[in-house]
Amino acid sequence: MRGWTRGRGLLVLPAVLVLLAFTVLPLCIMAYVSVLERGTYGGVEWGRHTLDAYVAFLFERDLDDSLVLNPDYLKIFARSFGLAAFTTALCLTIGLPTALYMATRAPKRRNLLVFLVTIPFWTNLLVRTYAWILLLRNNGLIDKGLHDLGLASGPLDLLYTPFAIMIGLTYTFLPFMVLPVYASLEKLDWRLVEAAMDLGATRVTAFRRVVLPLSLPGVVAGMVLVFVPCLGAYVAPELLGGAKVLMIGNLIQSQFGAARNWPFGAALAFALLAIVLLAMAFYALRFGAAPGEEKGR
Amino acid sequence: MGAITIRDVTRRFAGEGQAVLALDGVSLDIDEGAFFTLLGPSGCGKTTLLRIIAGFERPDRGAVRLDGADLVDLPPWRRPVNTVFQSYALFPHMSVLGNVAFGLEMQGVAAALRGERAREALRLVRLEDLAGRRPAQLSGGQQQRVALARALAVRPKVLLLDEPLSALDLKLRKEMQLELKRLKAATGITFVFVTHDQEEALTMSDRIAVMEGGHVLQVGSPREIYEEPAHRFVAGFIGETNFLEGEVAGEGVVRLKGGGRIAAAGLPASGSVTLAVRPERVALVAAEGAQLRGRVLQVVYIGTDSTVMLDTGTDEPFTVRVQNREGGWQPPSPGSTVGVAVPADAARVVAG
Repeated sequence: MRGWTRGRGLLVLPAVLVLLAFTVLPLCIMAYVSVLERGTYGGVEWGRHTLDAYVAFLFERDLDDSLVLNPDYLKIFARSFGLAAFTTALCLTIGLPTALYMATRAPKRRNLLVFLVTIPFWTNLLVRTYAWILLLRNNGLIDKGLHDLGLASGPLDLLYTPFAIMIGLTYTFLPFMVLPVYASLEKLDWRLVEAAMDLGATRVTAFRRVVLPLSLPGVVAGMVLVFVPCLGAYVAPELLGGAKVLMIGNLIQSQFGAARNWPFGAALAFALLAIVLLAMAFYALRFGAAPGEEKGR
Repeated sequence: MGAITIRDVTRRFAGEGQAVLALDGVSLDIDEGAFFTLLGPSGCGKTTLLRIIAGFERPDRGAVRLDGADLVDLPPWRRPVNTVFQSYALFPHMSVLGNVAFGLEMQGVAAALRGERAREALRLVRLEDLAGRRPAQLSGGQQQRVALARALAVRPKVLLLDEPLSALDLKLRKEMQLELKRLKAATGITFVFVTHDQEEALTMSDRIAVMEGGHVLQVGSPREIYEEPAHRFVAGFIGETNFLEGEVAGEGVVRLKGGGRIAAAGLPASGSVTLAVRPERVALVAAEGAQLRGRVLQVVYIGTDSTVMLDTGTDEPFTVRVQNREGGWQPPSPGSTVGVAVPADAARVVAG
């Protein structure tokens, strides 16, 4: 028995190795890069350490070499957080009723619906995002359609706006909301809802007091799965936001690309990671033990 | 308060290919304060009828009235009717007290009074010490009692019980049967109890409706259902029964298919009839001059009684039950021929 238990640890070895090689190691390299001096033509000056990159995130040097607070990068962070939060809220608004609908169908039907939700994954993300360009651009399907219906006049200029980014992000990440919420709703014992209605709860109250608390783990998982990748999203802001709306992902990319400032790019990535981890830690401490628990009264 | 009238209730479910008729024109009267049992095999429509009374299903046709007021258009949350579910359906994210207080909260009872009344309901099922626990921390029998307390806390006019004891082991089931009878007496609420267990139905009910295939076959007291089954299915489903086919041959006499003539009450003037005879109501007698004769197939000792299986010339063996008294009787040896005395009131004409 003990030997078996000890041997069981070996089962996770491949996963641990993959994580070490492809997550922990690159993170360590990135951390090291962020404290090096930048090379003039990109890359870094190995062996010359400085915290300039982190300083540059918050401050800029004035003419007299004193540090002045520079909110530009914080603004980009704030915009990204705002956009990610809006996208998460939109995904939840669309995803929760969708998951609820799916979970209340006959079992056979459910499998088909889950399959339909995953269909977008079958097509390349770039192709799907370009499709949105065709839909959103001036004289595109939406623009032209609204004109022909007489609901709009003049170009709508939908493309290359934060709105377009949000549409693209919502479209991309919606399945990541629907699937975990569906998974928790599918396990739900619907007789509990009948019991609640039997005891005098209307449909809405039964949903609020029974369905929602019991599906909270799925809702939280969905929110994390949408919010976190949205923060660092690159494709949608790049293609649908044009060059006008800079977000964290694009900022980081530009540091490794055009700006040739690897340490700053790495520092930005770590600032993002730190903020996300802090938010998760706060959530775990605040609502920690078991989401969905309700205090007895 | 708590009298239910069911008139001509019909409910169809869309099945594979063809619709299934779960209830076919069911009419019932349930008196207020009664312990009324819907008894039948699975698929007979008893649970569907219960769900229609609770409001989870809508009848395609027919009326359900509570104290004269029509229930059909009322949603479940507006009916003064509560259910104890087969699976208990306790809210896992609430404490025992939270579960029991839920209905009161929905009624808008003030928080202070709510706690008091919930505790009172828990006291009724003797679980007040466990108020702070979660349902998952309770045994099956305790969960069952919480479900009862939760349904009773809101003081419904009618309590519906959907096979509430089927998940419990035998000893606990016997305890809960007594508990239910006690609660029934203490509250005076009408209990509508669904079960497929005929023994449970006989021991607990004031009245029983035996259902089969979406029909109510017979309604009566446990004694009537057992002693005077009106239908072949009722006689066969409840207790052991011998069925004898025969022709009416003169007043009060039936000539049996397998040979023999026996007296029976309530016979039609002529034609073929089916008689139901309880094994414990007949006696073994000497073969000579007996109304009914049979060859002994087997004698089975079952403690208080012995059953003697006879071949009376029909397809099914005829069973006679003899009580094992002190000093005993000499069981007939297999292969010998014995006679059976059937009192006229022991042979009942059944339909079907």
